Amino acid sequence: MPGKFCVNLTHSKDDTDRATVGFVLANAAQASGKETLVFLSIEGVRLANKGGAESIHEDGFPPLRELMDNFAKAGGMIYVCSPCFKKRKLDENNLVAGASIVGGAKLVEFLSDGSPCVSF
Amino acid sequence: MKDAGNADVVWDAADLACGVLLLKLRGRMEGMRAGQVLRLVAQDAGAPEDVPAWCRLTGHALLSAEPPVYLIRRKEG
Repeated sequence: MPGKFCVNLTHSKDDTDRATVGFVLANAAQASGKETLVFLSIEGVRLANKGGAESIHEDGFPPLRELMDNFAKAGGMIYVCSPCFKKRKLDENNLVAGASIVGGAKLVEFLSDGSPCVSF
Repeated sequence: MKDAGNADVVWDAADLACGVLLLKLRGRMEGMRAGQVLRLVAQDAGAPEDVPAWCRLTGHALLSAEPPVYLIRRKEG
């Protein structure tokens, strides 16, 4: 049962619960054979820099760093909102595995054939 | 049909849940040959719904589901 799945994640250290559960769901989609994209926008873009998830560890869940690493190792993709990233003056030469900085057209292209998308 | 006593691979996932469980489960299945059977023990309360759904999504055959024990046969390819 092929197909795509998108998780739109808008939080990082400002809401560690949302950030964590977003990647847990992304891992479930990737593990289920979906071509899975996490779109990081707003405060979520802070997770795109190495170290951005370092201190995030919700009770009952693995550390966010581990969730993100496993997602990337399983072939998951991470798109990072370019203007959100630039606004926060983050380092484009220090991206985590699987992440690439994109404009809105890349997200629209991914979603354009009817991919579901959930937001956290 | 294989039963719990003669599965090819046994994995106790303890209380792993949701995406963490499924990603590790996928890894286990990828390490098996087509036709081999995994005996999974998953204690999470969501597993009785999640494991069958995952099998439907991925095409692996759920031979039996008697929570917390699941027998899954690896698909071809």
